[in-house]
Amino acid sequence: MNWPVVAIELAVCGWIAVLLAGDALLTPRFAGLERGKRQRRLWSLAMLGIGVLAWVLGWQSRWLGQAFGPMFLFDGFAFTFKWLFLITTAVVIAMMRQANPLAITHLGEFYLLIFSALLGMLVLASINDLLLLFIALELLTFSLYVMAAYVKTDPRSIEAGMKYLIMGSVSSGFLVYGISLLYGAAGGTGFEALRALLASGPAGPNVLAGLFLVLAGLGFKVAAVPFHLWVPDVYEGAPTPVVALLSVGSKMAGMIVLLRLLYSVALPVAAVWTAVLAALSAATLLYGNLAAIPQTNVKRLLGYSSIGHAGYLLMGLCSGLLSGAQAVGFYLLAYLVSTLAAFFVVMIVPGDSLEEYNGLSHRSPFLAAAMFVALLSLAGVPPLAGFVGKLLVLLSAVESHRLWLAAIGGLNVAISLYYYLCVVRRMYLLKPASSKPIAVDGISRAVLFLLLLGIVIIGTVQEPFLRLLSSAIAF
Amino acid sequence: MMSPLLMILLAPAMGVMLLLWLPRQEIRLIRRVAVGATFIPLLTALWVVTNFDRSSGGYQFHVEVPWIAALGVGFHLGVDGISAVLVLLHAICAFAGVLISYAIKERVKEYYLFYLLLITGVFGVFLSLDLFFFYFFYEMAVIPMYPLIGVWGSDTKEGGRVVFSKEYAAMKLTIYLTSGAVLALIGLLWLYVSCGAQTFDVVALEEHLRAHPLDARLQWWIFPLLAVGFGVIAPLWPLHSWSPIGHAAAPSAVSMLHAAVLMKLGSYAIIRLPLNLLPLGAQAWLPWIAGLCTMNIIYGGLVAMAQKDLKFIIGYSSSSHMGYVLLGICALTPLSLNGAVLLMFGHGVMTALAFALVGHIYDETHTRSLPELGGLAKRLPFIATCGVMAAMASSGLPGFANFVAEMMVIFGSWDRYRLQAVLAVLGIVITSVYMLRMVRGVFFGGANESLAHAKDAATPFARLPYVVLIAALLIVGCWPKPLVRLIDLSTRPLVARTLAPAQPLEVHIAKEQTSITQIVR
Repeated sequence: MNWPVVAIELAVCGWIAVLLAGDALLTPRFAGLERGKRQRRLWSLAMLGIGVLAWVLGWQSRWLGQAFGPMFLFDGFAFTFKWLFLITTAVVIAMMRQANPLAITHLGEFYLLIFSALLGMLVLASINDLLLLFIALELLTFSLYVMAAYVKTDPRSIEAGMKYLIMGSVSSGFLVYGISLLYGAAGGTGFEALRALLASGPAGPNVLAGLFLVLAGLGFKVAAVPFHLWVPDVYEGAPTPVVALLSVGSKMAGMIVLLRLLYSVALPVAAVWTAVLAALSAATLLYGNLAAIPQTNVKRLLGYSSIGHAGYLLMGLCSGLLSGAQAVGFYLLAYLVSTLAAFFVVMIVPGDSLEEYNGLSHRSPFLAAAMFVALLSLAGVPPLAGFVGKLLVLLSAVESHRLWLAAIGGLNVAISLYYYLCVVRRMYLLKPASSKPIAVDGISRAVLFLLLLGIVIIGTVQEPFLRLLSSAIAF
Repeated sequence: MMSPLLMILLAPAMGVMLLLWLPRQEIRLIRRVAVGATFIPLLTALWVVTNFDRSSGGYQFHVEVPWIAALGVGFHLGVDGISAVLVLLHAICAFAGVLISYAIKERVKEYYLFYLLLITGVFGVFLSLDLFFFYFFYEMAVIPMYPLIGVWGSDTKEGGRVVFSKEYAAMKLTIYLTSGAVLALIGLLWLYVSCGAQTFDVVALEEHLRAHPLDARLQWWIFPLLAVGFGVIAPLWPLHSWSPIGHAAAPSAVSMLHAAVLMKLGSYAIIRLPLNLLPLGAQAWLPWIAGLCTMNIIYGGLVAMAQKDLKFIIGYSSSSHMGYVLLGICALTPLSLNGAVLLMFGHGVMTALAFALVGHIYDETHTRSLPELGGLAKRLPFIATCGVMAAMASSGLPGFANFVAEMMVIFGSWDRYRLQAVLAVLGIVITSVYMLRMVRGVFFGGANESLAHAKDAATPFARLPYVVLIAALLIVGCWPKPLVRLIDLSTRPLVARTLAPAQPLEVHIAKEQTSITQIVR
């Protein structure tokens, strides 16, 4: 057994134990800490965990290989995306520092759940087996169910958790059923067996049905139409850090599983799934962006816009070309920094109604500027990260001779710009309801600044990031 | 030594960086930074125009840095005769615009941030020789218009009632221009993929497409995507409706840049990309576009005649004058294309002057409505003098750059589009009607008592932007030869290239005709 290959996963398990111990020991009775101090200590412990994990992952880069037979792969692809998951989690934990108004009790368990979700995502980056895929996905999703319903005093949060649980269970059902069909045909759950099956000749209807059921199950995770129904309500009700994790981590996890499954295993039947995904991409783009226009709640707005972004991701995915897969990778990176920055602002601004954003530029010029940059990056405006992502994805659609899809993608750039600018309009053009300035503490300011810097750097100096992702996404 | 083009592009960009770190109370310092960030490009642009090697032509002052190797994107700057003139135009207007912006009193720091960002974007478009960066800067120039109009603009009122709010104008402008840009982007990506050269570099694409021309059917499809996509900003009739509203809502310094240079981005992009790269598509589509731009001239002119708001008059007149530019491009003779580029310069300077003047009048009288103004020549002698000169220039009187340019366009397009040329002459008459009516209504006639407090631009500093603009108009008008020669260096090969694929056909026809006449004999 090649233990260093799973070092980061083991480290997460270890840190979960540390968090448990910390939660038990840092109590008012035991350590004599008052509540605020206890929360800060727990936060530091979680942040320290991220630091330790980053160190482990850096050390681990020498140990590329397999574990548990061929079930678990630690390759360049896994390594790159594990870094991105770690960054996402670090930002989400950084948000928690300001999360006290959310009235989250039992903060220790909350960090524990974040780490178990992280464990699920880290494993998903490495999967090479359908069974492991299911286990890791359920680990991620179960942590998110609980976190979505974490604010027990808020009925919207309970509703969000409930809806997510029901919809998520249905999707798990699809996934399991698809896996069982594929298992029946291939005689094994490993990707190797599946690859051999699909390469051996024309795929039978049961194999294709299995494949599409698995795609449907993953479609829930990336919030693609027609599996998107849970998104707006869950985004609205769940605590903001959870929504950020859901929107970035969960979507990215679903997307990289799709990448690995479709591009390393299912390429022989590409003719079938590219056509289906292209149609889904068009529907997702149009639905997400059009439905975002009338929203009055910022989290719902970002929820619908995240559906729209799933459409762009699928557009790169459905090209069936390696350049399309690499475009998806770059888009994910751009989406990660922009969305995290947007949710960071949402976290700090009190209230989720768009009315609260009226005159934000008077109340906090820094937050307004950050939101402005994040939203324009999501809309795909140069010189920001989102622009290059959109350009690459559109290019892959044109390369695969789907001009109609590129045209729909182009149209949606204009639509999405409209509703993002409506938020900008509120922040810069309208008068604030109250002139009370919004305080931003030093750590939040620093993290937000780093994210904005990332948006600008990824948008202007694209080459190193593109090269990194291209070398990672080469199956 | 730093490359002059890099200096032109980086000076306003550095201005943006610098402004980010300046505290917002330091208004004087912020303004000085902005003036410096536009004065350096002005000097450098003059240097570039005078030092352009007229004996060799082509693209000069190259800056090349490989950027995204996998896609064949390079950061490639360079100017030819056409873009050198437009860079000079933009440098003049940007400098004058920053001086005019002294009228902005609130949220000064943010204003100059967005204004310099806009200026950087426009310079980037004129200087880029790479499709990726061309589009990059193009979109970067469009987006700052939204906050610039939305925050510092003004609603269009008629009798105390808001007709168009500034928010509506800003949103309409942004969405129109972005939609056009995206349409053009799809055309560019299609071109990139189908030509198979794996490069975004314009010069390399030119050479590649000359050696391996694109299939005629493909050219026929891609050309309208690019021409209409960039035509939206030109503004090509019937996609012009964002433009007068945008002019009216924007603060005067932004209207200046909007009319003077932003519209020229469209016509420049049409010359540089579709005309240059897709000759067969151009020959198939240009007659149609020539028809549309005649509508620009006549329709824009007639609508301008009916307006009462000064900014709307100039706004519609801009869209009318851009019709001449597009007609000159469509006619595709060296003379008409030279005229079109020169008119871009002349009209740019003239319209910047006009919007600056309207801005001053509005600041002093708080109205832009023609019936409420009158007799301002007594109160504002300097402004009135400038106003009369702007009107003269706009109507195409000899002595101004516009006269030379419009004549070149009309003479140049006579051979190919006779009807359109006749209508264009009619357009000049329409122009002089509304321009003279405006001059009479604002500066002469009975003075309105409520305007007695209006003040002239008194100090030399306040007069500086007007003087710069009028000087540019008069110098080029009286001595157009240096600029025309510069433009001619690039238009002649361009016209030859674009018409080249048709020549075998024409020669063929000519041969047939001679043989037929021989047979008849």
